[in-house]
Amino acid sequence: MIRSVVGLFIFAVLLCGYIVLRPSDNGRPAAVETTEVTRAQTDSILGPVPDAIAPIEVVAAVQAPVRNTAPGLALTTDRSQMDETAANVLAGLGLNVERNQTAGDSDEMLEMTASVLSGIGAITGQTFNASGKPPAAESALELLVVQALKEGQNDAYINTLVNEAAKAGEISVPDILVTSEGDVDTAVLLNSIITQAQIAAGGAEPAVPNVTSGEGVEVRVVQRATEAEQYRFYTVNKGDSLGSIAVKFYGNVNKFGRIFEANRQILSSPNAIQVGQRLSIPNV
Amino acid sequence: MRVLVVMTGFLATLAALPLAAQDVRISETQAQSTFSVGARDFTISRNQDVDAALTGEFAKTSRPCPDFCIQPMITATGVRPIGELELLDFLETDVAGTTGLLIDARLPDWFAKGSIPAAVNVPFAALDPQNPYQNDILRALGAELRGDILDFENAQLLVIYDNGVWDAQATRAITNLIAAGYPAAKIQNYRGGLEDWVHLGLTTTLP
Repeated sequence: MIRSVVGLFIFAVLLCGYIVLRPSDNGRPAAVETTEVTRAQTDSILGPVPDAIAPIEVVAAVQAPVRNTAPGLALTTDRSQMDETAANVLAGLGLNVERNQTAGDSDEMLEMTASVLSGIGAITGQTFNASGKPPAAESALELLVVQALKEGQNDAYINTLVNEAAKAGEISVPDILVTSEGDVDTAVLLNSIITQAQIAAGGAEPAVPNVTSGEGVEVRVVQRATEAEQYRFYTVNKGDSLGSIAVKFYGNVNKFGRIFEANRQILSSPNAIQVGQRLSIPNV
Repeated sequence: MRVLVVMTGFLATLAALPLAAQDVRISETQAQSTFSVGARDFTISRNQDVDAALTGEFAKTSRPCPDFCIQPMITATGVRPIGELELLDFLETDVAGTTGLLIDARLPDWFAKGSIPAAVNVPFAALDPQNPYQNDILRALGAELRGDILDFENAQLLVIYDNGVWDAQATRAITNLIAAGYPAAKIQNYRGGLEDWVHLGLTTTLP
């Protein structure tokens, strides 16, 4: 009798011990794994250090300019920023546009760069100067679009013109304008030019649309301990470019970086989007 | 006979003196590292207090991840991880010979709290493609602009570090450099970073 009581007691103690000491993972909310999808967010370069760095082989392939070696694609792309391209086109049209929303950042960057250069100079004994303004040479693409706009050509004409020149290798296009079909998304470029002209004329910045439905759009709500988090996904359709997807979800082509960063696992470069790819869309 | 004993004792004391003066050496063959870069002389040695222990920032064991996650040994294909002895050798030969630079990839507020002697602060953010002046920095590192393309043929050899294995700043700097075209073969990563450096009692400097 005493033996069995002692035996049961020991069993109970061991069971309690197991319950208290078992790996704490079991107690985590199930939502944790889902959040992995949208981890890397480096839209602010001065923000917190990101915890996830994309595979380096992938990044190494994104040198500018790059001739895309994917089968069926032969466009020369570069990493020029949309706002810069649009500003240069507007400048080419004789409209003077301030290099808009990043002006504050640029000053900070200029300061940081100047300090880096003086630091390097102190060690190497040479003197370096920051160029004082960002490189702004007009690219062949910008010249082409400026010329067509001056001639009063319509969007369809400009689209054909740009695509023919790009396919002939005469111009390099920003990589976010390459569509899933390997064409150039001229509409996004023209849209960006108009938006910037409006902002320059005192208009408001485009609002961020709240896209929760439509072809290819998928919304998932994960209930966490304190709040409900919404995750959006988008399946790439024919003719989409990273730029057009950024406009669709953020109203601003320049925010493409958030989508690109969040999908580095499947996007080797911004021009590599393919029909059927399921992209995670980080919340703004 | 007594003279001999005294002489021997004297000699033994002489032989022991340098040891007593430098109990904590860098390696068996090296007590300290001295080198000159341009007109500046640098000396790196270790803290001789054998009871010294870390306190403060670099004594912490459990920084939350994210943001402070353990970094890989190989940050990018072709980028070699190195330790303290290789770093000292790099300073004595490449940095002193102006063919290499030691890059502190941390943001300036960290750099201001202390860094490895002869290091240059090039914050990872300054190497970001979004920095419109990125090319200016790449050129200061020895890249040459030919037309629109940067030529890295004569670019400096770099050793890059940050706070340590839990810090992604060096990883980001290396990622940004390689994305900009900097050859991986010219980049090495002192992965242990400042935390390992101070843990060994090695000399740090304030800017």
